[in-house]
Amino acid sequence: MRGEVKKTGSDFFIGYGLILPTLFLLGVIVFYPLTYTFYLSLFDTSLILPKPSFIGFQGYAKIASSTTLWLVIKNSLIWTIIVVIFQFVLGLSAAVLLNQKFIGRTLARGIVILPYVMPGIITAMVWRLMYDPQLGIINKFLYELGVIKTYTAWLGQPKTALFAVIFSCIWKGFPFSTIMYLAALQTIPRDLCEAAELDGANKWQTFITITIPQMMPVIRVTVLLTWIGTFNYFELVWVMTKGGPTKSSHIFPTYIYEVAFQHFRFGPASRYAVISFLILLIFSILYIRELSKKGVLK
Amino acid sequence: MLFVLFPFAWMLSTALKSPEEQFKIPPTLLPSVPTLHNFSSVLHHSMFIDYFLNSLLIASATTLLVIIVTLFSAYSFSRLTFPGRKMSSCLIIFSQLFPLAAIIVPIYGIMSTIGLINTRFSLVIANFSFTVPISVWLLRGFLEGIPYELEEAAMIDGCSRLQAFLRIILPLSRPGMAATSAYIFFVSWQEFMFALTFITDEAKRTLPVGILDFVGQYETNWGNLMAASILICLPVFILFMVLQRQLVAGLTKGSLKG
Repeated sequence: MRGEVKKTGSDFFIGYGLILPTLFLLGVIVFYPLTYTFYLSLFDTSLILPKPSFIGFQGYAKIASSTTLWLVIKNSLIWTIIVVIFQFVLGLSAAVLLNQKFIGRTLARGIVILPYVMPGIITAMVWRLMYDPQLGIINKFLYELGVIKTYTAWLGQPKTALFAVIFSCIWKGFPFSTIMYLAALQTIPRDLCEAAELDGANKWQTFITITIPQMMPVIRVTVLLTWIGTFNYFELVWVMTKGGPTKSSHIFPTYIYEVAFQHFRFGPASRYAVISFLILLIFSILYIRELSKKGVLK
Repeated sequence: MLFVLFPFAWMLSTALKSPEEQFKIPPTLLPSVPTLHNFSSVLHHSMFIDYFLNSLLIASATTLLVIIVTLFSAYSFSRLTFPGRKMSSCLIIFSQLFPLAAIIVPIYGIMSTIGLINTRFSLVIANFSFTVPISVWLLRGFLEGIPYELEEAAMIDGCSRLQAFLRIILPLSRPGMAATSAYIFFVSWQEFMFALTFITDEAKRTLPVGILDFVGQYETNWGNLMAASILICLPVFILFMVLQRQLVAGLTKGSLKG
């Protein structure tokens, strides 16, 4: 823990002097662009009209009446909620398993983390191959097991594309939750669980009444972090489906990207960016409050 | 375990298949005659080495610059009290919480205004946007783990704050700096969106974008693609294996506190 630090005048100047470069960098590369996105969202731009014209909030009214906005919001929520739930369940179960004593535990812990360490673009490629209608192993398995009658283009159909990407996103991201929960499990005092077991609680009861409440702060932070990370995740969807077919798997980041850099319509792209920022803001505030409660921000 | 490992196994199996076998329908589970053919053709691919060097250069430059800049602010946050500290701390956390897609358009604009579009340097700068916050965060956690008493003792013995920093903090924070550097390297190495947008020149591409070369318009050379994927994964896997303990400690520290 931090010792008592004397408050002196020089602390003030050194303190600021030292964080200034960081704040400057973030200002230029993060906060200025963010403000500019808001500004840009009030203009209309297109390829034919290179000079942006001010339209105020009309642009927002226009996209609010389009079906695309609602589709993107719906997809983003489906994508985020399913991924977060499964990463939580899978992450927690894996953590509990890896917290037991067994031979080869260290190796198992190392292996479980691998998907998280794999670059996103590679993850996207490997899963694209596995989902491939002809060459993919998934179709072969499901066909031989009798689950499907014909080979299916999982990423090529509006009904399945989003869910197929969701599945690979769960695979890619759950180890992060495992790392967090495993670390949390190791901080729970053993005598707490032992006491509960002496009182006649079985393993499951101990887990529900002792372990889970003890882990709650970490669970809240981890769920919020995975929520934010998943909501913002770009490359998996982009490389696997490009948001298609027919926009069926577009989430905010991919749609913003498509409108901005494939249609070069920066105005609408900025409006989508602002909306996604506002939706995320709720979760960011919750997250910062959570950290603040723990005194991390002191 | 099977769920985790299967995609890796499939990646390796495909990479080891011969050109004829990889297009067999239905696919074979294991290569009948394993061959390193795909790896050699990737390495002979005209640009692969260039992509690799570009990625290495950009990730290393990002890591070095970010560590230097953020070490100061991490020190400031962990050791000094000054008004506005909490506020700045909030700002830094906040800056890593919103979608990069929301700021890519203005960043693209800035880069073209100052003539940096299509340069490797533009990617180093863009990488700051997501590496600086996380780096401050990780380093700060590590620095707080160093007992303040050590520094205090040195200062009582006549060291100035700077000397105490150089002689006590710097050597003791080496493991933390290594872990943080590894993490920054790891995220910069796989950065995709900026690299895809800013670089138009083939020779300046990084690996994550360059690998798309193997995806053909009509037919994808999966064997080559998977071999290339393995080569891209290797550096980060090795880095991770070596520094696993510190990395896990750094990632979990912030949320376990309190």
